Amino acid sequence: MSGREDRTAPVSTGAANVLFVVPAMLLFAAFVLYPMVSAFYYAFTRWDGFTTPVWVGLANFQRAFADSVHLMSYVHVVLYILGTLVFEVSFGLAVAVLLNSDRKGFALMRGFFFSPVVLSMSAAGVLWAFVLDYRSGLLNAVLRALGAGDLAQPWLSQPGTALIAIIIVSGWKYAGFYMVIFFAALRRIPRNIYEAAVLDGAGPFTQFFSITLPLLRSNFLVAVLIAITGGFAGFDLFFTMTNGGPFSATEVPATWIMKQAFDQNQLSYGIALTVILMVVVIVVSLIYLRFSERLSVARY
Amino acid sequence: MSRVIERRRRSAGEWVQFAAGAVLVAVMFYPTVWMVLSGFKSNREIFRTPFALPSVWRWENFLKAWDVGGLGQLYFNSLLVTFVAVTLCVGFATAAAFAFSRLEFPGRRLCYRVLLIGLLLPPPTVAIPLFTELKALGLLNTPWALILPGAAWSLSLTVFLMRAYFNSVRPDMEEAARIDGANVWQIFWRVSVPMVWPAMLTMIVLNTINIWNELLFALLFIVDEDKRTLPVGLIRFYGYHSTDYSLVFAALTITTVPVLLFYFLLQKQVIAGLTATAMD
Repeated sequence: MSGREDRTAPVSTGAANVLFVVPAMLLFAAFVLYPMVSAFYYAFTRWDGFTTPVWVGLANFQRAFADSVHLMSYVHVVLYILGTLVFEVSFGLAVAVLLNSDRKGFALMRGFFFSPVVLSMSAAGVLWAFVLDYRSGLLNAVLRALGAGDLAQPWLSQPGTALIAIIIVSGWKYAGFYMVIFFAALRRIPRNIYEAAVLDGAGPFTQFFSITLPLLRSNFLVAVLIAITGGFAGFDLFFTMTNGGPFSATEVPATWIMKQAFDQNQLSYGIALTVILMVVVIVVSLIYLRFSERLSVARY
Repeated sequence: MSRVIERRRRSAGEWVQFAAGAVLVAVMFYPTVWMVLSGFKSNREIFRTPFALPSVWRWENFLKAWDVGGLGQLYFNSLLVTFVAVTLCVGFATAAAFAFSRLEFPGRRLCYRVLLIGLLLPPPTVAIPLFTELKALGLLNTPWALILPGAAWSLSLTVFLMRAYFNSVRPDMEEAARIDGANVWQIFWRVSVPMVWPAMLTMIVLNTINIWNELLFALLFIVDEDKRTLPVGLIRFYGYHSTDYSLVFAALTITTVPVLLFYFLLQKQVIAGLTATAMD
């Protein structure tokens, strides 16, 4: 997101030019900004969606901070995000380096590696629910075929393995996305840097840690930001695979919010929880942006 | 690295690299193959011989899944919602990006900043107030409940990327048109749109994938079975038939294989777009 802010002189000036942004701004205001702002009102009321909202001050928030499932959902989502940093961002980077070659076959492999990214989360979730199924799942079938049938688990229906299973499915789905980002950045590194390093006797690992990684730092910082903002909002995969279960072991903020609002008919409590989520995501992102800016400044 | 030695035989290290890559990609892609093959099997076969090819290729599984799941209707709904939402989003976003990059007008900076809020905001954070808003507007349970929010939520990223693309091209063509006496609208329509068309195509592909796959809004804003889109329909289907493995695998195959084909056909478009505009 480094700025190409050096704008050349505008082609045209004048207030009428605003017409070009009006359609986009109207649509954005109506379906993004307005609901966002109205959330801040409803969060302070008691409301089931049918009757008139009643102002209750901070009651929803007091309840939210005493709601142990809600608090645990943040623990789960933080673990999930840490997992995505390993299985999506870092794994994606490793695969980008591994598949960075002009030889025959590598473009095809990159294409296949990216392919899960285009699938819907619900299709991926249903597919993996079958892969991880205890009785007829692919994973347990592989384990049994390898003679390690003792390791077969009901992966998604026991609290100890459900979250890690979801993290791995998420990695399967999104590692290709980060691979493509890092691959593009790798291609922009001038190859004479590597030639010079080889002449100096640098092996592949030295090359990776002293050339590739430092030069990819800005891409890495952006990738981490995407993983964090995307992770907090994680809903689809959790909903499809476990919907928070078993025993709330995979409850994340988004699944818990939807349950409160729509299964329990406590719209205003759900909205208060979304306000908390909104504030958490924005604060974490801003802190992260500030922090990563300082990192970049310190570097260059 | 390897470009240096373009014409030479592969070294041992390169063979190791190739083998490691091939094994990794095969493992990653195997579940998809397993899904398609299982779609042709009977339930008993899926359980007994999970790795084998189907003994009989039961095409009737797919016909049954298509009928039972009402997949034709789901496909139609998904196509309708995606087509209209993507058209709105990319059209509006290109005009806005043109204005942010090429024009000057009061409030330009403010509008752009406001639009960028959407980059940080995940959809679940407003799903519930959006639900009440759509209900008040009488749009709930209509295609518009998915089209308008779908387009609105794709705007931020699309404007951001389109503006970056505009900024990466010098405005010489537009300048020349202006000197020739074209007005702003003509410049936009005749010069800029053809110029940024490759980027627009990329945005169309990306937003098509995103909106096609959208789950949360589709889950909350549509009640009637015959108005649902594919992602929700698939989950419901799985819920009803979770013990009829071959039927669910057939439905999964029908819904995912066209998407994969779309991707493999337009792969250059998707990947070149991501690398050219998303990250620099």
